[in-house]
Amino acid sequence: LNTPAGDHADTLRAAGRHNRFRLVPYFTAASLAAFVLVAGALGYFQQQQDATFRALQAGQLALVRNAQNDFTTHQDEAARNDLLAVHEAGNVNLARIVANMSWERDFAPFVARAERLPIEHCRTLPDTVDATTGATRPGPEKKSCFAEIGRQLREFPEFTSIDARVFAAMAKSTVFKMKVFDLRGITVYSSEHAQMGEDKRSNGGWRGAALGGEAISELTFRDRFSAFEGIVENRDLISSYVPVRAADTGAIVGVFEVYTDVTPFLLHIRQATTDLRRIAADNQALIEAAARDTEHRLGEQTLRTLLFVMLALAFLFIVLFVIIRRAAGIMAQQERERDQAQQQLVQMEKSASLGQMVAGVAHQLNTPLAFSLANVQMAHQALENFRLPLRFAGIFARLVRSAKTDTVTLSVAPARKLIESAVDADFDPETPKAMLEDTLHGIAQMRELVDNLNEFTRIDRSRTTRFDIARCLSNVVYIARSVMPTGIHVVEDYAATPETSGNVSQLNQVFINLINNAAQAIDGPGTITIRTSFAEGRIRVDITDSGCGISPEHLPHIWDDYYTTKPPGQGTGLGLGIARAIVAEHGGEIAVATKTGPESGTTFSIYLPVTG
Amino acid sequence: MLEKKGCILCVDDEPNILRSLTWLLQRDFEVHTASGAREALDLIGRQDFDVIISDQRMPGMSGSELLREAARLSPRSMRILLTGYSDLPAMLRSVNDSEVYRFINKPWKINELPQIVSEASAIARSSGISETLLVPGPEDAVEDSARAFSETILVIDDEPAVVEQLRAELGPELPIVHAGNIADAIAAFAEYTVGIVLADTRVDNSDTTALLRMLKHQEPQIVTVVYTSAADAGDVVNLINQGQIFRFLAKPVKPAVLAQALAAASRKREQLKAAPQLSERHRVDPIPEVARQSFDRSLEESAARHAALSDPSLLERMSAGLKRLFRR
Repeated sequence: LNTPAGDHADTLRAAGRHNRFRLVPYFTAASLAAFVLVAGALGYFQQQQDATFRALQAGQLALVRNAQNDFTTHQDEAARNDLLAVHEAGNVNLARIVANMSWERDFAPFVARAERLPIEHCRTLPDTVDATTGATRPGPEKKSCFAEIGRQLREFPEFTSIDARVFAAMAKSTVFKMKVFDLRGITVYSSEHAQMGEDKRSNGGWRGAALGGEAISELTFRDRFSAFEGIVENRDLISSYVPVRAADTGAIVGVFEVYTDVTPFLLHIRQATTDLRRIAADNQALIEAAARDTEHRLGEQTLRTLLFVMLALAFLFIVLFVIIRRAAGIMAQQERERDQAQQQLVQMEKSASLGQMVAGVAHQLNTPLAFSLANVQMAHQALENFRLPLRFAGIFARLVRSAKTDTVTLSVAPARKLIESAVDADFDPETPKAMLEDTLHGIAQMRELVDNLNEFTRIDRSRTTRFDIARCLSNVVYIARSVMPTGIHVVEDYAATPETSGNVSQLNQVFINLINNAAQAIDGPGTITIRTSFAEGRIRVDITDSGCGISPEHLPHIWDDYYTTKPPGQGTGLGLGIARAIVAEHGGEIAVATKTGPESGTTFSIYLPVTG
Repeated sequence: MLEKKGCILCVDDEPNILRSLTWLLQRDFEVHTASGAREALDLIGRQDFDVIISDQRMPGMSGSELLREAARLSPRSMRILLTGYSDLPAMLRSVNDSEVYRFINKPWKINELPQIVSEASAIARSSGISETLLVPGPEDAVEDSARAFSETILVIDDEPAVVEQLRAELGPELPIVHAGNIADAIAAFAEYTVGIVLADTRVDNSDTTALLRMLKHQEPQIVTVVYTSAADAGDVVNLINQGQIFRFLAKPVKPAVLAQALAAASRKREQLKAAPQLSERHRVDPIPEVARQSFDRSLEESAARHAALSDPSLLERMSAGLKRLFRR
């Protein structure tokens, strides 16, 4: 009974500790995880956005680059075409001027004479086929055959003067070479003499001019070229085939070929194109630099945003952490206060049951005390009443001792008055004897009670002892019976059980609590049965009452602390919670079976392991 | 062999107690014993007892329940309850249901108990009244209206609200008067014919139990109902043993319950007036001189306080009341 109340509060606390919600660690872990997730997601989306942006920018840059390229290429081409067109017109005019000036006088007779030279024998000579390109070229015999024709042409008497005049006319001009073809396609004159006699019948330019009557020009590049002034290198040339028409009939009579040098113009065009390309490239570089700058700035902006969001999250976390820490502190404080209050309640619960017990014990003690006291007083009175008979007895004894003879004559007259007040009972020693016997019986009862009380509280001497459960229970029942309503019948049924060890004082508290509960469940007459049994190494104690039972809405809560169906102030609601904690401390279990309605009742079963 | 002074029945589940009581009482009385309520009721059914002494705490039926049954079966018998420890509800039940004559505490005093029993036995034997007068009628048969009250009800309570509650319950013409202190209460007796007193145990910071005891001793036909919140088992024992109160009500009760108690009191009053010898059954011992002096002091204080404060005529009325009550 005197075990510190804190023990049970500790036990109750320990039971609740393992499922306590650890607010601060959980909050920290959860919010950190959430923040990491948010940061990760933000980073990922930002990266995606950056990639999309970069791809978009690259696409735009490529588009601009292509557009600029197209533009430059187009510009270059247009310039070249313009150049070609301008120079073709120039060449046509030049050919016309030359023709007008010297065809009738110089070239007509020369061409007419040349046309009379037979060439069919050369043309029938075989061509060679280039193995790689598949193009046909005149074979060496054919070449030398036509070269022979060229040699014959140069031996014509008019040749020297014509050649001299052509050279004179063309020197210092942009015309690098001039050729004349007859209508058979034979080169009848060339400012490059070696080329005279060559057959150009299959040449596109010649055919266009001789058969189509149109001037045909093309732009070519020659790394080596034989011009009027000698050999030139790396030149861009425009060659134009120009048909020559007879002044009177307009019929085509021959073909001029004029080579003009456009290297400087092309150089200009190329320069312009290069400039354009450079400008485009510069622009491109600028745009790219701007794009890079934009990207960089965007990246910085993103970084700043991310940084800000992270800082905001960190700030939020810190603020929440502080609040939660504070809340956890308050909760811990409240819990401490609750523990303290609980401890007080446990103490109250103990003193309440103690008070109840004391009242019961006092009553129990009062009955033997009452009759013993009355009996002793009455016996005392009886002894007083024996004074008279004993006086007579004394007188009689003295008389007998002093008598000389066996017969004595006695006058009873003086005694008659004394005897008058005495009644028969005054001479009966049996009644005071019976009174004192009853008193002894009463004292034995009181002693039994004191023994039981001692037994009930003896465990304060050592906390854990070996004990016999039946003795323990009969003791508790003896005490409990004295506070029970008189209509309740208590049945004790103890099986042979081995001794076990435990804190008997605490277990007594459990049993008296359960027995008191059982008594309170009974309204009017009823029965409480306390039964022990032993199976599978465990002692089982059943405390069964024929009371009203526990209704289903209360049943799930009976073990809860502070749960009570008693009116306020009459129960702490801790009794069963403490009982369970104590039984659990002994490595045991406590269970309940209950039934309401007809044949209602409740059984609390306690299982205790047998321990050394 | 001396003539026995009466026939008594002792009831207790503890045989040692029965034997002890027998030894104590057998000299003067014809003592019968029963070890339980069942057995006791059997005996009461078969035999006429002057006094029934029962222990309160017994298996099965409790002492107060037994005495209630006994009052029904044998209304002439005087009832004494033997109590071991204080159980206020049980005591209230025994006051209100079985109208016990005395409570006797265990352990009893061997010179006192026979005296009380012999008093009770003498009352039972001497009153010589018809049994029918004593049979308590069913409570609900009481006519709950002002007409049932022919004499004044004196309410001694700090709160005049009780008067209003009773008027509301029993009718506005209910003859009822309120006294807020002892002096007022005494004065009221000069002006009214008081039949029933409804009193708290403490009024105006002074104890009324002495007043109630003196009243009962002087005017046994006045029926007393105590209505209080401040009471323990000891108070109830004293009020019964020394004041023979008729009913004891623990504050607060519903006005209807209060009215019912007053109606029962009124019926009792009519009984006592019709058969004055009946009031012997509620006889109390004279109040000891020490208690009387203490009561006089508190009365004087109360009178002085209230006369000086509000009512100069109080002293006059009070002395008239005293004269009428105690002839002094």
